[in-house]
Amino acid sequence: MKKLLKICAALSLSSAILVGQVFAQSESVLKYMVWSDSELERERPMIAAFEAANPGVKVESSAMPPKDYWPRLSALAAAGDLPDVFWMSSGFIQSWQADGQIDNIGDKVAGINEADWYGGAISVARLAGGVYSFPKNWVAPVLYYNTQMFDEAGLEYPNSNWRYDDFLKAAKALTKDTNNDGTPDQYGYWVYGRYAHIEPWVFRNGGNLLNKDRTKLAPDAAAMEALQFVTDLANVHGVAPKPELMDGIRQQDVFPMGMAAMWVDGSWNIDGVRKTAGPDFSFGIAQVPMGPSVNKNNAVGYAWSDMMAVAPTTKQRDLSWKFIEHMTGSGNKVENFGGGKVPAYRPIAESDAWLERDKFPKNKEVILEIGLGQTTTSFTPNWSKWRGYAASAGGGMNGELDKVLNGRKSLQDAVDSFVEYGNSVLSSN
Amino acid sequence: MNAVQRHHLRIAWWMILPCTVGLLCFRLFPILASFLISFSDWNIIGIPKFVGLDNYVEALTSPLGVKVLLNTVQYAAVYVPLATILGFSLALLVDTGIRGVVFFRTLYFLPFITATVAVAISWKWMFATRFGILNAFLSWLHLSDPIAWLSNPNVALFSVTVVMVWKDTGFYMVLFLAGLQTIDRTLIEAAKLDGANRFAIVKDIILPQLAPMTFFVVLIAMINSAKTFEATISLTNGGPNNASTTLGYAIYQNAFVHFDMGLASAQSWVLCLVVGGISLLHYRLQQRKS
Repeated sequence: MKKLLKICAALSLSSAILVGQVFAQSESVLKYMVWSDSELERERPMIAAFEAANPGVKVESSAMPPKDYWPRLSALAAAGDLPDVFWMSSGFIQSWQADGQIDNIGDKVAGINEADWYGGAISVARLAGGVYSFPKNWVAPVLYYNTQMFDEAGLEYPNSNWRYDDFLKAAKALTKDTNNDGTPDQYGYWVYGRYAHIEPWVFRNGGNLLNKDRTKLAPDAAAMEALQFVTDLANVHGVAPKPELMDGIRQQDVFPMGMAAMWVDGSWNIDGVRKTAGPDFSFGIAQVPMGPSVNKNNAVGYAWSDMMAVAPTTKQRDLSWKFIEHMTGSGNKVENFGGGKVPAYRPIAESDAWLERDKFPKNKEVILEIGLGQTTTSFTPNWSKWRGYAASAGGGMNGELDKVLNGRKSLQDAVDSFVEYGNSVLSSN
Repeated sequence: MNAVQRHHLRIAWWMILPCTVGLLCFRLFPILASFLISFSDWNIIGIPKFVGLDNYVEALTSPLGVKVLLNTVQYAAVYVPLATILGFSLALLVDTGIRGVVFFRTLYFLPFITATVAVAISWKWMFATRFGILNAFLSWLHLSDPIAWLSNPNVALFSVTVVMVWKDTGFYMVLFLAGLQTIDRTLIEAAKLDGANRFAIVKDIILPQLAPMTFFVVLIAMINSAKTFEATISLTNGGPNNASTTLGYAIYQNAFVHFDMGLASAQSWVLCLVVGGISLLHYRLQQRKS
């Protein structure tokens, strides 16, 4: 009897395991990893729709903040255990492609109607003759302006044909020291050494920070002209505060708190400005003014995309692409793109719902114009190191330019320093 | 060894096995791996490339490497004496039987048990150039133009140091307080009867009696100063222009921001050798003294 019971128990256990395995095999699990909890939450209905349209497919998603995302993703790559699909940034794609950690999906991209997507957003992923990711959205720095301050000063609002001189004239008129204590209470502009504050001025003057094949830092004359103009705003014209004067205030709060009338930063900050200053805060956006070295036809915009990549180790390549197509294309929803994040899929981006005419800024089409024009970036492998970004924002090019803006170093000395350091970083790639 | 003892030994081995395996896998192996990685160029996602001593050369001779080392020494040169002296002074102040002294002991110890990030954020507000309370106070006294406490390259590292001294002093106070409790009170009473003033008692009785504890506090303070990280990331991100980047922070930047594991590992071993050297020196000095 005891023996019979043992045999029954063993049989039951084996059957349970077998049934479990059969169920497990009939369900394809697609692993998906992103760097934003809130965005993943917004994507949940889309993921559910994908699962519903593909019976037997389960998407196992995970999210973590960017500072944890990259170390975690790198560790998974080293272990050969990358998720099937994961988010890829314009700043990291070069290194990941060079190290063979993202799949070339050129054959899949060839099958879509590219005219439905912003070409510049896809071009960021075109490397070494392949396409190594696919854009879900893109962003571009724009000139933010406080319409109330412009109205009070009796000035016309900035437009995308503005030149450096037009900007400077307005910035001077908007810089006010109402209590005559020698320190303006309202500045015309706010800038520090951050990439999104500096590079737009360089590109809109037709300048380049890097040589053609992006292996060396070599700011050309147009780039130097732009850097001189921007740093003079604080040091010569006094229309922008020295960055050290704004210590203790988050850089993204200076404009919405009304301490500066204009500001250049990424379009994604539209959402932040609305949240910080409230829905009644009236502001507009324009393209960054053009420098004296360009005409309207050769001024270049600065734009880059957030993308989705496929792991080279995935065993579900077709399903991964199907998922990416769903998440980036017609399966997407305009609600997933808060403020100034532009859907890479044009029918969504160019819809009235995305343009949000009932909210400030009321001219979001300015961002779309940038995307349809010529755009560039300065991303290279190890970009964050030489540029000075995130937890190393105190160093690199950012740190050197802050020294200039704070009046502690000449521009030429700072450029010499960051070029020397940057080239030591780039030569190790 | 009889059968029972062997059985007990086997059980003991099984009991410590999980801990030993954990120690080997998550401590010893990474330490050994980091030593090997320090001779390579490795960004985690690629294949490590052997580069010999290049990472050590960069850590010890490149302009940024030298700056980081000098910052670390400068930080320790201010932090260690200041934290030790303040910790000792506070311990003397609260080593009395007067009413309410427990409240003050708790008060001085509170910053130590407060999260460093919370401490740093509070100080960041106080350090704000235009709207911070420190500059408002200086302005009220007509003492100075606004100081960029966190953006002036000559001041930023000092500001970070002050925050950490303020935070950690309570801990050193507790250590000194423990040392003070071990001093034979009859020595102090006898000195008082002989007419010794408070200064003489501290100099000739308390300090010599506290020597082992002082050695210990200095050692701990030196190790803590080499590891500083949370205050730096919260206050300055190592800026302006790396003016407040110390070795601990540079290791984090290179490992988890730039993914330059080779350089980060080399810097970790430099840090390990510095801390190990200090500990050895401390051990030798204490041995000679005893």
